[in-house]
Amino acid sequence: MTKKITQNFRGLRASVIHPNDTNRQILCAVLGKLGLVVTAVEAVNFGDFHNCDVVFVDADEGIDALPQTEKCASDLLMLPCIALVGNEAPSRLARVVRRGCASHILKPVRNTGVYTALLLAMNDHAKKQKMVGEIEALQQRLAGRRVVTQAIVGILHEHNVDLDTAYAWLRAEAMTRRLTIDIVARERVANLGFGMAHSSGKRPDLDQPIKNHRNRRSTQ
Amino acid sequence: MRFEVNLTKTEINIGIMFSTSGSYAAVGMSMFAGSQLAISEINADANLPFRFTPVVINPGGVITAYFDAARTLLSKHKVNHIFGCYTSSSRKEVLPLFEKHDGLLWYPSHYEGFETSDNVIYTGAAPNQHILPLARHLMAHHGKRGWFVGSNYVWAWENNRILREALIEVGGKVVGERYFPVGELDLDALTQQIIHDRPDFIFNTLIGESSYSFLQSLRTAALAAGIDQPSSMPVASCSLSEAELPLLGESASGHLSSSVYFSTINSPENNRFVGAWNRQFSHLGHACADAEATYIAVHLLASAISRGGDASFASVQAAARGLQFHAPQGLVTVDPDNLHCAMRPLIGRSTAEGTFDILHSDCGPVRPDPYLVWSSLADVSAQRNGSFVWAVK
Repeated sequence: MTKKITQNFRGLRASVIHPNDTNRQILCAVLGKLGLVVTAVEAVNFGDFHNCDVVFVDADEGIDALPQTEKCASDLLMLPCIALVGNEAPSRLARVVRRGCASHILKPVRNTGVYTALLLAMNDHAKKQKMVGEIEALQQRLAGRRVVTQAIVGILHEHNVDLDTAYAWLRAEAMTRRLTIDIVARERVANLGFGMAHSSGKRPDLDQPIKNHRNRRSTQ
Repeated sequence: MRFEVNLTKTEINIGIMFSTSGSYAAVGMSMFAGSQLAISEINADANLPFRFTPVVINPGGVITAYFDAARTLLSKHKVNHIFGCYTSSSRKEVLPLFEKHDGLLWYPSHYEGFETSDNVIYTGAAPNQHILPLARHLMAHHGKRGWFVGSNYVWAWENNRILREALIEVGGKVVGERYFPVGELDLDALTQQIIHDRPDFIFNTLIGESSYSFLQSLRTAALAAGIDQPSSMPVASCSLSEAELPLLGESASGHLSSSVYFSTINSPENNRFVGAWNRQFSHLGHACADAEATYIAVHLLASAISRGGDASFASVQAAARGLQFHAPQGLVTVDPDNLHCAMRPLIGRSTAEGTFDILHSDCGPVRPDPYLVWSSLADVSAQRNGSFVWAVK
């Protein structure tokens, strides 16, 4: 079953960064009808993105007028951003791309089109955030790999066993202690006494060799 | 123009753009009749300093003809106000013209919502006033297994989506779902499938002749199968009206409809309206919701002109906000924010006499919520005046 999209934006806090003209007035009126709590401000008066869930920014002038700090740029990238586009020249649109705007509304702003832009931006942003989370988790696993390899090489040298045995040993240790293999490997590398749980000398991995190597996972 | 105190009435041209021919002509003729009734009342009112002169164009149910009709009315006849459209596709088609010409479309039909144009006054029911009350009624009285059949355009898609989500939320099921081109009449295979599936109810968003053909075919097939269709699997819709019942013949009775108006409402305003209707338009069947919505729209324009002082777009649009009218259905108020109307939802069941028995009536007018921001199936009394609730997860 396909995941249900977010379609009700009641209570969402919107910042509209745009000169006070008809475009801004129409946009704010429609956002109000959609149940959003709107703060409208000109770019030069703009403070920060706290207390804000979605940003509407003027792509003609406003984006450049925003504070040019790294923090401002990264804060903006963390929020769903909708560009209000009047001028379609590539140089203007390049800034929209750089700011990571998820959707846009063409000027002059009409009542029609605001809901579509908001819906696309919110859903696209949710998808992006999910992907960012997945990428972070994968990067952590990737970083952990280096330590696991280090630990395996350590076992290999210390106990004179082959690569598969060293890995199986490390894995068995992790399973017995109910820890991730990354943590056990990190302990080993930090000389915290690898194999302490098996101080009896018994090595369960060697007694019960793991047949299915495809099931190996470095993190649980 | 400002009204001067003189003995002659100012003539105000208004556009009338209903399809009085084509596949949904029955409804179009009722809407046209509703406008005529209101125009004659306004023109006979000695207290008003103006009279309406209708400029009529019939788009014949052809979607592209609406664009030409609206353009002719707005640019050639220079009217500021047009009463017209029934389908949402036709309204979407003409909307840019109204924005370009500073025109006001008085749209007198229930629709699926998700639109708020400053160039439209919506005098028909919004989705929180028709589909949500119907969903509540169906689940409370008939069950959670629905079969959805509709004409292939946005009215059907969107209403079906709302009802589908409502059903799934309470563990219900959409047994089947089919869409047909507007005007499709060959629906026997569909009715056989529905008889075979035996849903708790059928949700019908077919319009015009397709709907009549479907209701007749279903009733015939159900009788042949020995099924008491009205009680064991009723057909429910948000559009079936008195205008259409005479076209259903033997199959007219036992269908559920969600509407803000039925001709059987008992009130002095409605008795007067129905009396006038029956004198002039009884050949169109009983008065119906779309006719009443058109009647309301024309009266609201007259009130807005009186309130604002002239018939210009800006003046009328501003004056219409918050305007009230004691309509045949009860008190109707134009919402100051979204230009839809606060109206009271009703559920009716059609009778063989071409009317509806009113099975349920909300306790009062419900504020329009075209984007379904404030309403939900679970929260019957959802009020926008309450505190903000975090709805986005």
